[in-house]
Amino acid sequence: MKTKKRANRAAKPRRRKLSSAKANSLPAYSEDGVDLTLIRWMLSLTPAQRLDILQQNTNAILEIRHANPHL
Amino acid sequence: MPTRTSNFREILRVLAEQKVQFIVVGGVAAVLQGAPIQTFDLDLVHSRKPANLARLLRALESIDAHFREHKDRKIKPRLSNLDISGHLLLATSEGPLDVLGTIGEELGYSDLKTDSVLVDIGQGFRVRVLKLAKYIEVKEKLGREKDKAILPILRRTLEEKQRQKRR
Repeated sequence: MKTKKRANRAAKPRRRKLSSAKANSLPAYSEDGVDLTLIRWMLSLTPAQRLDILQQNTNAILEIRHANPHL
Repeated sequence: MPTRTSNFREILRVLAEQKVQFIVVGGVAAVLQGAPIQTFDLDLVHSRKPANLARLLRALESIDAHFREHKDRKIKPRLSNLDISGHLLLATSEGPLDVLGTIGEELGYSDLKTDSVLVDIGQGFRVRVLKLAKYIEVKEKLGREKDKAILPILRRTLEEKQRQKRR
């Protein structure tokens, strides 16, 4: 029993390593030049987190625009 | 004076609280589904059933909605303004809001509902959002330069979502 448990523990990191290796083999850009890493990062978030990021970015840009009316 | 910040979630919260029937379309819909794009306004298609128009008007009043093209005076939308297939470009206390009777080839709320999905936007609210595949289809048909520019990102996002789902 003990041996089986130890075997399971040992298997876990190897699975993570494999999936991380698979992720590294994915292309960073599509053929038409789209940054796929950004898409994968967005897809790793929940819709609520994506909305938060959109809102933060929008407000940061609006603040910068307001601070630089001559631009 | 136009607001310097946008609070998309607050606009959606007010609409959901008033039980307005609407579908989020445009850039916010794409972002909610994982597209890494930037947008400054919230676009939605509303049901034009009379009871819904009344609820929508109440929601708009509560966020001080007014036509944003009239910079010198504040003109608020009326019930009759909401019952159209065109677009109302509004400024609100929570940021710009485009209220659209239809999009693309005259597609209204009932046409788009089957191509929408409920999305949890946090704080206990779920809103109906146009599916990315349908959004891409609408943009492809419109074929405007601004649509063409964003289509590669939308298409690759959809592909990546489908790839991840297959895993």
